[in-house]
Amino acid sequence: MASQYDRAITVFSPDGHLFQVEYAQEAVKKGSTVVGIRGTDIVVLGVEKKSVAKLQDERTVRKICALDDHVCMAFAGLTADARVVISRARVECQSHKLTVEDPVTVEYITRFIATLKQKYTQSNGRRPFGISALIVGFDDDGIPRLYQTDPSGTYHAWKANAIGRSAKTVREFLEKNYTEDAIANDSEAIKLAIRALLEVVQSGGKNIELAIIRRKQPLKMFSAKEIELQVNETGKEKEEAEKKKSKKTA
Amino acid sequence: MNSGVWEEVGCAKLWNEWCRTVDTTHLSPTEAFCVFYHLKSNPSVVLCQCSCYVAEDQQYQWLEKVFGSCPRKNMQVTILTCRHVTDYKTSESTSSLHTPFLKALKTQNFREPPCCSLLEQPNIVHDLPAAVLSYCQVWKISAILYLCYTDVMKLDLITVEAFKPVLSSRSLRSLVKNIPQSTEILKKLMTTNEIQSNIYT
Repeated sequence: MASQYDRAITVFSPDGHLFQVEYAQEAVKKGSTVVGIRGTDIVVLGVEKKSVAKLQDERTVRKICALDDHVCMAFAGLTADARVVISRARVECQSHKLTVEDPVTVEYITRFIATLKQKYTQSNGRRPFGISALIVGFDDDGIPRLYQTDPSGTYHAWKANAIGRSAKTVREFLEKNYTEDAIANDSEAIKLAIRALLEVVQSGGKNIELAIIRRKQPLKMFSAKEIELQVNETGKEKEEAEKKKSKKTA
Repeated sequence: MNSGVWEEVGCAKLWNEWCRTVDTTHLSPTEAFCVFYHLKSNPSVVLCQCSCYVAEDQQYQWLEKVFGSCPRKNMQVTILTCRHVTDYKTSESTSSLHTPFLKALKTQNFREPPCCSLLEQPNIVHDLPAAVLSYCQVWKISAILYLCYTDVMKLDLITVEAFKPVLSSRSLRSLVKNIPQSTEILKKLMTTNEIQSNIYT
C-alpha cells in the first residue's frame, strides 16, 4: 500500500501517513551520530566524525556549525540539505539582529528552521529536507537551551538527545545516565557526552568532535588533543568504576 | 582470505545478465565469482565465497557441480547471507527493530539449537542461499542458514559483528581462534571497504 502513496510529497496515504517525510527520517539515520546535552551552565554537542578521505581537507567536513555567537547546531543526514538550512538560518540570525537590535533566542531560530522544513513538506515539486538538527545555545536570560528539529518540521526542547545512526542506543544510555549528578558541573556534562558517544562510536576518541558553549562565552571547539584527554579520563573513570563493582560482587 | 590459513581449491565461473565482465573464459582469480577455499590445517573444512548473482536457472547446475563432488554423509553446511531490513516483514513497528539482527533457517537434519531466533513467516530467503538450503533439505544434509538484516547498503563493521554469535556454534567453535586483535583486524578490513560518500554526514 505504501508504494501507491509515497511518490508525491503532498499526498496523504489512507491511514494518514506522509511517506516522503517518514522516508526523509530514514535518510537522517544514515548520518553519523550527534549527541547534545544541556547542563546547568553549559551546553555540549558531540559528534561522530565521518572518516575523511586522504586527500580531503578535514576542515570542510564539519557537522557542528555556529549560527551566531551564542547559538550553534549540529546535524545528521544529507550534507547538502544541511548546508542550505544552515545558510538560511545564519542570514536570519543577522537579519533579526539588525532589525530588532537583539540577538535571536534559541527558540526563535529553531522555530525558523522548523518552519522552513515544514514548508518543504507541503510544497509541490519539492522534497523534505533530509536532516535533523540539534540546536544549542544560551539566551540573554542566561538559561541553556537544547532543541531538536526533524524533517517533518517539528521541534522540541530536550534535556539531552541524540540523532543520526544508532541514536536510539545513545538515547537509552542518556535516559539511564542523565542525572542531576551527571550535569552537576561542566566537566561532568562533557564526560557524559563523551561516554554517550563512545557507546556507538567504533574507533574511539579520534573520531569524535566536541563543542561547548558556556554562559556569556562564544562557541568553543575542542582540539583533537583536548578530546583525547577527555576520552582517556573517561576511560580511566570507567575502569575504576568497573573495578569497584567487581570488588563488591567478589 | 590471504592470511595464509586458507588455500584456494577451485572456483565456479558463470555468466548472466547481472555480470559485469563479458569475457568469462579469461577471468583472473580476482574476477572469478565463486571461489572455494579449504583450511590448510583441516582440508575437510571448505569455504565458498560467492560474490556474484547466480540466476535461478543456473542454481541447479551450480549445486550439482559443487555438491556432486563432495561426499554427503556427515556434511555440515552453514550459510551466511544478509538482506536489507526493509525486506523484513513484521507486525512490530520498524522503529523498535534493533538492526542489524540475525535470523536462522535450518533443515530437518540439523539437530543443534541455532544461535538466534528462527526466521518467521511470511519472510523468505532468496537466491543462492535459498537454493543451497533447499538442496540440503532434499538430500537430508544438516544445514543452517544465518540471515542478517541490516540497514546499510554496504557491509560495515557493525553488520559483520552481528554474525559473531555464529562463531560459538558447535560446528564452527573448533575453527575459531581467539585472537585479541580480532576486532582491530576487522576494523582495518572494514575501513578499507568504506566508500567515501559525501552525501550523508
